[in-house]
Amino acid sequence: MTGGGARTSGRPASKSLARKKVTPLLSHLLSFRETLPRRTELALGSFGFAVFLLAWHMTAVSGVIRPEFLPTPWSVAQAFVRLFTERDFASDIVISVGRVWFAFLLSVVVAIPLGLMMSTYRAVGALLEPFIDFVRYLPVPALVPLLVIWFGVGEASKIAVLWMGTFFQLILLISEDTKRVPTEFVESGHTLGASNGQIMRHIIIPAALPNMVDNLRITLGWCWTYLIVAEIVAANSGIGHVIWSLRRFVKTPEVMAGIIAIGIIGLLTDQAFRYAHRRLFSYQQR
Amino acid sequence: MSHFLELSDISKTYWSADGKTETKVVLPLSLNIEEGEMVMFLGPSGCGKTTLMRIVGGLETQDAGTIDLHGQRLAGPDRRRGMVFQSYSSFPWLTVRGNIKFGTRYRKDISPAEKEEVTDHYLEMVGLTRYADFYTNRISGGMRQRVAIARTLASNPDVLLMDEPFGALDAQTREHLQFQLMDINRTEKKTTIFVTHDVEEAILLANRIVIFSSRPARIVKEIDVDAILPPEARRSGEADMARFMSLRSEILDIIRAEYAHTLEAV
Repeated sequence: MTGGGARTSGRPASKSLARKKVTPLLSHLLSFRETLPRRTELALGSFGFAVFLLAWHMTAVSGVIRPEFLPTPWSVAQAFVRLFTERDFASDIVISVGRVWFAFLLSVVVAIPLGLMMSTYRAVGALLEPFIDFVRYLPVPALVPLLVIWFGVGEASKIAVLWMGTFFQLILLISEDTKRVPTEFVESGHTLGASNGQIMRHIIIPAALPNMVDNLRITLGWCWTYLIVAEIVAANSGIGHVIWSLRRFVKTPEVMAGIIAIGIIGLLTDQAFRYAHRRLFSYQQR
Repeated sequence: MSHFLELSDISKTYWSADGKTETKVVLPLSLNIEEGEMVMFLGPSGCGKTTLMRIVGGLETQDAGTIDLHGQRLAGPDRRRGMVFQSYSSFPWLTVRGNIKFGTRYRKDISPAEKEEVTDHYLEMVGLTRYADFYTNRISGGMRQRVAIARTLASNPDVLLMDEPFGALDAQTREHLQFQLMDINRTEKKTTIFVTHDVEEAILLANRIVIFSSRPARIVKEIDVDAILPPEARRSGEADMARFMSLRSEILDIIRAEYAHTLEAV
C-alpha cells in the first residue's frame, strides 16, 4: 500500500496506516477512546461469555470440586430445560416479571412527578430530602418482616418490598437529572415567552429525559435483587421461590439454572432499554 | 418625552452565604437607550455589567430602581427582552430548524403558517439553511451561536440582550459572526445591549459604548462611536484606522485605570 519506510521507522506518512501494518487487529481493538463497530462489540461480548463457560467446564470436569457443588454447564443446561418441562417454570417467570414491572411502574409514576417537583420547588426538596435520605439507607431486606406483618404473605407485601427498594432511590435520581438541566435552557425559555409549566413540559423534561431513561434502566435492575429477596422469604411462586425450594433437595443444577434465568431476563431487558434509548435519543450520537 | 428603554437608579447588592458581608454590584445607575440603538457594555471582568444586563432581561431582580420599556414598567422575564448567552443554549433534542422555530412557539401575534415563514427567514439570515436538519451537537460552536441568535430573533423581542455571545469562539469565527451581526442589525434595526470585554468588538459593533467602572458598576464614560467612525465605513472595513486606533487606546486607558482601582482594593 505505502512505502516500506512507513512500517519501520522515520516519519510514517500516516500514523494509523503505519500501525495497521504492524499489529492490525490489536491496534484496531485498542484504539484509545474510540468506538467499535456493533459486530465487533457483539463478537467481543460473546467471546467473554465463551471464556467464562470454558473455564467453568474445565473446573467442573477436573474433579477438584464435587459435582453436587459445581455441576458442568451442560448439566445446568439440561436442568434448565427440565425446569420448563417437569415443573411449570414459565409461569413462575411470568409471575416474577409481572411483580417486578408492576412495582417498578408504580414507583416510576410516583417518583417522576415528585422528583420533578423536588428539583423545581426548593420547598418541596427541603421538605422531602431528609426523609428520603433516611429511608434510602434502610436495608430493604430488614424491612421484609415488617412489610409481611403489615401486608401479609400475599402479593401486596412483595410489591411493597420492591416499591420501597426502588422508589426512594429513583426519586432522588430523577430530581438530580432535572437539576442538571442547564440554567441557560430555562432562562432561554423565560425570555422566549414560555410560562413555568411550558418550560417544564417543553424544555426541562426533554432535556432530562435521556438521563432519566438511563436511570430507569438501572433501577429496574435493582428491582430484581429485591424481588428475589422477597420471593425467598415469603412466596409460594416466582423464580426466587423455585430456587429456594430446590435448594432443599440440593438440586444444584436446577438452582444454577434458575439463577441463570434471572441473568438472561436481566440481559434482555437491559438490551431492550438500551435499544429504545438509542432510537429515542438518536440526536445524542455524534 | 420618554425614552425607548429607561433604566432609573438601578442598584444591586449581593450578600455572602452567611448574610454578613455585602458586595455592591451595581451602584444606583441610570441609562437611557433609544429604539434601534446598539449599545455595548464594556468594562473590567466581574464589574457587574452582565448583572445589569440580566436585570434588564428580568433574570435577576434589582434591589432598587425601575426599568421602563415604551413607558411600561418591567418586572420579570418575558418575550419583550430576548437573551443570547455566552454558553451554547441551543436545545440538543431539536434540529437547527426546530431550535429556530422554538423561538416562535409562544408568539400569539402570528399564525402557524407565518411561524414557518419566520423560521425560514432567520434560518437563511444566519446562513444555516443547508444545516436545517442537523442536530446541534453535529455543528460547530459558531453555528450554535448563530442558531441561538436566530432563535431569539424569531421570538421578535423589543430588546435583544447579548451576553458575550462570541466569547467562547475562535478569532476567525468571532470576526465572521461580528460582521454577520452587523448585517443583521442593519436590516433588523433591533435595539440591542451587547456585553463584552473585547474593545475592538465594541468599537466595531456599537452605536454607543458605555464603559463601566470596576465593581460596583457605575458608568465611567459614554462614547458615541457613530460620531467618530461612521457605521457604513466600519461595516465595509474602510474605517479610518488612525481614528480607530486612537479610540481603542483611549478606551483601553480608561479600563486599565479601572483595573488599577480594583488591584488597590485587593
